Amino acid sequence: VRLHHRHPNYRNTSAICCGLLLACVAVLVPAERVAAQVKTRDSARPVRFSTDIRPLLSDRCFQCHGPDEESREAELRLDIAPKAGRVVVPGNPADSEILRRITSDDPDEQMPPPGHGKPLTAAEVDLFRRWITGGGKWSAHWAYEKPVRHETPDVPVEGASNWIDRFIARRLAGEGLSASPAADRVTLIRRASFDLTGLPPTPKEVTAFVQDKSPDAWEKLIDRLLASETHGERMASFWLDLVRYADTVGYHGDQDHNISPYRDWVIDAFIENMPFDRFTAEQLAGDLLPDSSVDQKVASGYNRLLQTTHEGGLQPREYLAIYAADRIRNLSEVWMGATMGCCQCHSHKFDPYTLDDFYSMGAFFADLDETKHFTSGGNSLPTKREPELKVHSRRERLRIRELDRKIADARALVDKLADDDASKQKLATQVASLLKEREAVSMAARLTMISVAIKPRTTRVLPRGNWLDESGPVVRPAVPQFLGQLDAGDQRATRLGLARWLTDAEDGNGLLTSRVFANRFWYLMFGSGIARNLTDFGGQGEPPEYPELLDRLAIDFVDSGWDVRHMLKLIAMSRTYRQTSLLNPELLKRDIENHLFARQSRFRLPAESIRDNALSISGLLVQQVGGPSVKPYQPAGYYRHLNFPTRKYSQHDDSRQWRRGLYVHWQRQFLHPMMKAFDAPRREECTAQRPRSNTPLASLTLLNDPTFVEAARAFAERILRTEAATTDSERLDAAFMLAVSRKPDAFERSVLSRLLVASRKQYQGNEKAARDLISAGIAPTPYGIEVTEHAAWTVVARTLLGLGETTTRN
Amino acid sequence: MLDHTDVNSTDINRRTFLSTNGVGLGAAALSSLMIGDSLADTRTSANDRGLSDLPHFVGRAKRVIFLCMAGGPSHLETFDYKPKLDEMDGQPMPESFTAGQPIAQLRGKPLKVQGHLTKFRKYGESGQLISDFMPWHGKMADDICIIRSMVTEQINHDPAHTFMNTGTGINGRPSMGAWLNYGLGSEAQDLPGFVVLTSVGGRNPQPIASRQWGSGFLPSRFQGVQFNSSGDPVNYVRNPAGVSTSQQRQLVETIQLLDQYRNQRVADPEIATRIAAFEMAFRMQTSVPDLVDMSGESKETLEMYGAKPGDGSYASNCLLARRLAERGVRFIHLYHRGWDHHGGLVNYMNTCCGLTDRPTWALLTDLKQRGMLEDTLIIWGGEFGRTPMFQGKGGAGRDHHIKGFSMWMAGGGIKGGVTYGATDELGYNSVENVVHVRDLHATMLHCVGIDAQRFSVKYQGLDSRLIGVEPARVIEPILS
Repeated sequence: VRLHHRHPNYRNTSAICCGLLLACVAVLVPAERVAAQVKTRDSARPVRFSTDIRPLLSDRCFQCHGPDEESREAELRLDIAPKAGRVVVPGNPADSEILRRITSDDPDEQMPPPGHGKPLTAAEVDLFRRWITGGGKWSAHWAYEKPVRHETPDVPVEGASNWIDRFIARRLAGEGLSASPAADRVTLIRRASFDLTGLPPTPKEVTAFVQDKSPDAWEKLIDRLLASETHGERMASFWLDLVRYADTVGYHGDQDHNISPYRDWVIDAFIENMPFDRFTAEQLAGDLLPDSSVDQKVASGYNRLLQTTHEGGLQPREYLAIYAADRIRNLSEVWMGATMGCCQCHSHKFDPYTLDDFYSMGAFFADLDETKHFTSGGNSLPTKREPELKVHSRRERLRIRELDRKIADARALVDKLADDDASKQKLATQVASLLKEREAVSMAARLTMISVAIKPRTTRVLPRGNWLDESGPVVRPAVPQFLGQLDAGDQRATRLGLARWLTDAEDGNGLLTSRVFANRFWYLMFGSGIARNLTDFGGQGEPPEYPELLDRLAIDFVDSGWDVRHMLKLIAMSRTYRQTSLLNPELLKRDIENHLFARQSRFRLPAESIRDNALSISGLLVQQVGGPSVKPYQPAGYYRHLNFPTRKYSQHDDSRQWRRGLYVHWQRQFLHPMMKAFDAPRREECTAQRPRSNTPLASLTLLNDPTFVEAARAFAERILRTEAATTDSERLDAAFMLAVSRKPDAFERSVLSRLLVASRKQYQGNEKAARDLISAGIAPTPYGIEVTEHAAWTVVARTLLGLGETTTRN
Repeated sequence: MLDHTDVNSTDINRRTFLSTNGVGLGAAALSSLMIGDSLADTRTSANDRGLSDLPHFVGRAKRVIFLCMAGGPSHLETFDYKPKLDEMDGQPMPESFTAGQPIAQLRGKPLKVQGHLTKFRKYGESGQLISDFMPWHGKMADDICIIRSMVTEQINHDPAHTFMNTGTGINGRPSMGAWLNYGLGSEAQDLPGFVVLTSVGGRNPQPIASRQWGSGFLPSRFQGVQFNSSGDPVNYVRNPAGVSTSQQRQLVETIQLLDQYRNQRVADPEIATRIAAFEMAFRMQTSVPDLVDMSGESKETLEMYGAKPGDGSYASNCLLARRLAERGVRFIHLYHRGWDHHGGLVNYMNTCCGLTDRPTWALLTDLKQRGMLEDTLIIWGGEFGRTPMFQGKGGAGRDHHIKGFSMWMAGGGIKGGVTYGATDELGYNSVENVVHVRDLHATMLHCVGIDAQRFSVKYQGLDSRLIGVEPARVIEPILS
């Protein structure tokens, strides 16, 4: 039996629809997920070693014939070209031993051997045959070859486009497919707003864009979105998942720790469009930069984001080993698209990373002062995680400077107004209020964990990852050997050197890093990467469908000076981005998972956006950048399993209740149930791609979480106060417009209208129930709106907030 | 039929929709429109059916109830009697046992032997040895198979639970219940397939992180759903204030109807799943309160468990476990927090056993009486055991211990009245028929018809299994 289920995370709830009309589709879905690969028809396409053959070798052969010496059989390795013998005879499949073995019936000869469980399919054998016929040449794994600047294919593309589209068009032509038509403008502004800011467009913005007939209407829209502060917040969500930012320590008592200024630094970095190389250096080694600023020290909090503990009975040496491994896993997944975690115990089975590489990378972080918390950390809230620094955020510092200036100006003015008592009095009041605000901002300084370098601890290779074993050799900081060297002269290499190496496109790993991120920018704009696996560019990841395009994007990112915003705009300006996401019958058959990007994607919004969207539609959303984490409504007793100390959750009873999801208190062990229901990660490890599930718990959340009920009643109030809409029908139109940026059609209007009428009747007969419903949450209950009317409209609002269309980006 | 605009439906679409639904808008009342056949069909897919190639063979058990005694009960005061331990009481622990071994809180302290803090006696026809702390366990001695040779790899609570639940100390892997539901699907129509219940009572209740019932890299719908012992049994399961059940039904149906209507235009396969999820959500709003409503249980049953409904006790959770099992839930995981007996062991064993001994017996017996024990696998045990050495945080106690401890299995596929494996003469190392956590997992999977070796998911380039990559064996001798 072949039992090889592909990693199901990517698309985990899709039922394969066998007809376009859902109404006639039986949807009893087996849980099995065999990822639908592209059914290629491009038989003329040459077989490539790196993307066609190597993945097969990796999956079926490397376990015994790969880079790991310990498990190598018959002294044969297939990750590099065999030096001698007849394994592959170029141009001659029949004489090639490899083909003889993979087609043999003899159990003693057959490869993979009969017990292996993953035989090659006939189509895969054919790929080997064609590859050998074509010369049978080995090349390095695609992700370890530096990107090459491929010229733009000379193929026609209709309408406004850029070079991205020509790479896509060439492949689609080979496949006998064509790109999908552009989406309508409403869809486009919703898509771009969600992708770039995480928020929906307002009805006014929608109308303005739909009516803007100027040729650069789209570009103006993209520029506006990219320049907004909300864009910085949206990008921060993405980054915080990668670096596993959370408000608590994660292990054991899961106490709070001080780190929110780091989150604010990330937001600001994206708002400023900080070049990515600098962004990297400040996080890995902000403390090591010459004359490092407060912000750079805050940024170095990156090194402190991992899970920690001070559980009684812990062995510091064990946890130092755990921390070191945690850091290497994160660094390698975030910046290198590599799963170096495997090398904690043994050389990688599929990629050229070794055990020594792992511990040599760990040695970069051996200077971090982190033993202190084993003793100073206690069961307080927050716990102590020295070294920490008390800081004002950049915003707060700017505000203090501004206030000081205003106070000085006002005082100077007082001196000039020697005789005017009334004006003096007014100014004095003004100064008093400015001083009060200054005091408040001044008091708002927060502690945050930072990196402080001490004398580096000795780092040893831990045989089999066993921290009790001290027999392993001592290692110095070094980058993985097969990727080159980090030249530090006579000095010990540092975190700063590592950061520079990661973004050095000339002598370091910069181009490879750039490719990892070019792929993630694509993911942000399409919901999936050009290479599907965003953290594993290794032999077991999935090779990109468009390797040349990905290379070109990587080079462009470096050439732009690591300009993140440039990359997002480049993608947004492509015709490929603007395609409709609707599936046509041909794509349904050939490429249901959209590997070829012959259409845009359609997916449920991420958790934060589900929240932000509801708050935005209702008008409750409080837009304010940065600050300590916030505590929305949460079911009573949700933290009852936490101990050391026991935890009581106190929701915030002020406007913090309506801040964006990005700021919600991130309790690793008990992530807020709303965030969890919509697949926000606990942030224990790097998350590059969130799953997108569709569970009953998510439905219950949308239906009954007080945040959404309160949003619905505020939304209802908003509808009832819309002056331009006075009849039910006008109000339904306005409500629909707020929720999904379009008007309802006759059918939708009639369905909602019936619901409204029925609800009105129900609440007219039960005013107490009406009052209960419109009292959800802490928002003030409105004055001057009839209670039953408000309740009836709240039902309509709940419906609209619950619609698939409302929670979907398409 | 599809054009490139997502935005507004045309009349043609509307007519298509209405005709495929077999009702005309003008004629039908909204409610009858909403319960059209096609929508009803869509709703039945609320649960998964599992992988098409599973089970690998006919398993004896259909479901698993895992009774986790969180904190790590002492095997030396429950199931593992060692005369030598009493002989050496108070003497230094021979270094041959402890040199180079990982030790938790006793690290760097003098180690001395702590004799048994209770007596043992033989029970049943099988004559299994069970301590005086657990007389009710004695009554089911012939039904349970005691494994006295367990080993695990993690010595602190949090990673040790992770190891027991996922087969590895690394976070982010799926837990047992998620694996089972992924592989076999769920038989529960109105409830999730993996339910977690917790209770507290004893010494120093250790935290239990929700990742312990996480789905790891499996789709998130396979994660365990924790039922709360107080307040709402499931988060957000109650209608908002001012909304009746029929109003909520009306709301859910309107969302489903509009979603389905919209889907004519956009043909998004995800919408079917969404409609089903809303249906399950709504059903749970009824089924969950119904589940926890014990008014239909007889007085005898309540007394048998010692359960006071709604008190959040282990006894109530055991009764709930039976009710969940009856409703087809695949994996039911109970945690009782309070077994971390670094000190005051006798006192706290009395507390913990007082809270759990009888209800555990009641659960097994109740299932047996209802003919359900034969297809229900019960597993009892902690994340590790406790040291043969003395620790004295407030009276005699024991530290964490991973080299040898006891668990038991009973029910579907397991031979009752069997003692399997043994530790050395001081109860330190498992020495005979050693059972690693992986072996436990392989055996559990075997009982439900799954070959652990062939049950894998590709993750980070590896075919990941619950049993991991190291060898794991099914404990054949204990299978019935």
